[in-house]
Amino acid sequence: MPSSDACILVTGASSGLGRAIAIQLSQTHRMILHGRSLNGLEATRAACLDPGRHLVWNHDLNSLDNLGTSLVSRLVAAEARVESFIHCAGTVKVLPVRSTTFQIAQGLLNVNYLAAVEIINLLLKKRINQDNLRNILFISSIWSNFGSKAHATYCASKAALDGYMRALAVELAPNIRVNSILPGAILTSMAAIGFQDPEILAKWERDYPLGLGKPEDVAHMAAFLVSPEARWITGQQLTVDGGRTVNMSLR
Amino acid sequence: MNELLTEMVDILEVDAVKPEDKLRDFDSWDSLSALSVIAMAESRFGVNIAAQELKSVETVQSLYDLIQSKKS
Repeated sequence: MPSSDACILVTGASSGLGRAIAIQLSQTHRMILHGRSLNGLEATRAACLDPGRHLVWNHDLNSLDNLGTSLVSRLVAAEARVESFIHCAGTVKVLPVRSTTFQIAQGLLNVNYLAAVEIINLLLKKRINQDNLRNILFISSIWSNFGSKAHATYCASKAALDGYMRALAVELAPNIRVNSILPGAILTSMAAIGFQDPEILAKWERDYPLGLGKPEDVAHMAAFLVSPEARWITGQQLTVDGGRTVNMSLR
Repeated sequence: MNELLTEMVDILEVDAVKPEDKLRDFDSWDSLSALSVIAMAESRFGVNIAAQELKSVETVQSLYDLIQSKKS
């Protein structure tokens, strides 16, 4: 039965950080779970509090052309109002710049940044979301502010997201707050390539003062940022990284 | 093999590559070339090679054999 309570839309909810955020926020909110994998979305929904309360929206964000119509028909069918939008969907590509063409870069930008642009465009339209949007949260990365060999496109896509976040915060104030969470390394399928390499794992052990993170660490920050307690926080990059980015130790 | 040789010519930025060539003998071979090879194996041949596996690959022929073994 469609309910008129305000929802939180989370992209990338079929696994990893998106799943943890969805499960955390389902304790207090009705969720719209977006993802590429329907099986993953159903598993996330099953793990949420009161699974029947939450909606699923299955769409590949690489398909930007029909993203809008897909989202709108989903919202209309569910008579759902979106109060918070959390863009957690993201993809990574490990590739040296001398192998990176603009087409490859565009692919990453589509999912990591432009999909958010398209979704926000629609959620701000009165006829689609009736002025219900109050909160936008981007799951960015500590690599938004730093470089990493063979990750230029990923770093650029997260920096694009955060530049966009600051402009949104200014333009959409005072009714809508916009922030980014910048996580460090967390064990998810997206980070698996690093976790499978013993050299990278050993380096992470040395570099992270508080050790590696868990998806719940990001989910708890997300819950705070969309809450009324964060009412005076907007335009910020909130780093949740176990101290990694302040560590310039020699050993 | 010819497709692989073409890709390796592109990655290594040389005029020609032969199956018996040793990867580490190329001037341009470094950790970034290794990453390009991994990405190429995935996009061109649809196989997943880990950085660890590439460490034990000496020649272009061994690389070819590794890719073939993963295809099946």
